[in-house]
Amino acid sequence: MKHLPSPAILVCLVLWLGSGCVSTLTKQEAFPGMYEEKPRSILVLPPMNETTAADAKEYYSTTLAQPLAYMGYYVFPIEVVTDMMQHEGAYDTEAILAVPPQKFREYFGADAVLFVRITKWDTAYYVIGGHVTVGVAFQLKSTTTGAELWKYDGVLTVNTGGGGGGGGLAGLIVQVVVTAVNTAMADYLPVARQANAIVISTIPTGNYHPRYGQDQGDRIHQRK
Amino acid sequence: MRWAALILAGASILFSACAKPPIAYYWGDYSSSLYNAKKNPTPESLQDHKKVLVHIIQESNRQSLRVPPGVYAEYGYLLLKEGNTTEGMKYLDLEAQTYPESKVFVERVKVQATQPADGKESE
Repeated sequence: MKHLPSPAILVCLVLWLGSGCVSTLTKQEAFPGMYEEKPRSILVLPPMNETTAADAKEYYSTTLAQPLAYMGYYVFPIEVVTDMMQHEGAYDTEAILAVPPQKFREYFGADAVLFVRITKWDTAYYVIGGHVTVGVAFQLKSTTTGAELWKYDGVLTVNTGGGGGGGGLAGLIVQVVVTAVNTAMADYLPVARQANAIVISTIPTGNYHPRYGQDQGDRIHQRK
Repeated sequence: MRWAALILAGASILFSACAKPPIAYYWGDYSSSLYNAKKNPTPESLQDHKKVLVHIIQESNRQSLRVPPGVYAEYGYLLLKEGNTTEGMKYLDLEAQTYPESKVFVERVKVQATQPADGKESE
C-alpha cells in the first residue's frame, strides 16, 4: 500500500504521452496552415460534451477565453457568441457541425473557428485516494478554406489523495475522510484550466503575442 | 515506474516554463465570477460578474494594459440587454476600437440587440 509516495496533490500527466507512439514535431511541421493563414481571431463555439456529466460544458466554457487570449489571439466573448447563436436558434454546436466554417467569417468576422470536445470529466474514489480527470480535444478550422489549422487533445488527472499520512488504522481513517472531503470539494475547473493550458500551449502564437511569427521551431509532442 | 516518474518530472518542468504568460492582461476574477453567474443565475450573481468586468476595465486602464479581448463587448452586451443602450453601445465601440478584429462581430451585436426579438423579450 505504501510503495507509492504521493504528495498532497500529485499532478499526474497521464495523457497524450501515455499511450502509443509519440513523436516530436516543430509547430511549423505540425501546423503549417497556421503559419500560412495567420488567423488573428478565434471564435470559440460552445463546447461539445461527450461525457455523462450534464453540466460540464456550461461550466467548462468559462475557462477557455483566457488561455487563448494569452497565446495572442483575439477571442470573441464566448458568452455573447453563445447567446447570439441561441437567438438564431442554434443551441448546440453538434447541431451546427454541418454549417460551413466560412459562415462564421461572414456572420462574425472570425478568421478561425474552434471546436472543443469534452472527452472526460469524472471523479473516482478509492480507499486511500481519489482523482479528478478532465479530457479535452480541440480542433481549429479556417473560415477561409474550411481546412483544419490546428488540432490537439489531452487528458489530465489530478490526484486528490490526502497525502502520505501516518500508518495504522487511525491514519487510514483520516485519509479516507480527507479524500472524501477533498474530492467533494475538488472543483473540476482547476483541473480543466491546467488541461487547457497544456493543450493550448501547442497552438502557434497569435499576433498579440510577443513571440508572434517566431515559434515555428518550438517542439511539441504528437501522438502517431 | 521509474520511466513514468521521469516523464512526469520532465513534463512538469516543461509546463512550468510556460506557466507565466508573456502577454500582460488583467483578468481579475473573470473565470470564477462567470462560473458563479452560470451556476447560480440570479440578478445578484450577474451584478457581481458585471462588477468584475468593470474592475477588469478599470484596473487594465490603471496599469496601462490593453483590456483583454471580449471584456468590453461582454459588458456592453449585458448593458444592452438591460436596456441601457447608450452605455452598451459605448462599450461595444470600445471593443471595436481596441480590437479591429471584432468590427464585424460588434456590428452584428448592435443589429441583433436593436431589432425586436422574434416572439417576446423576457423582462
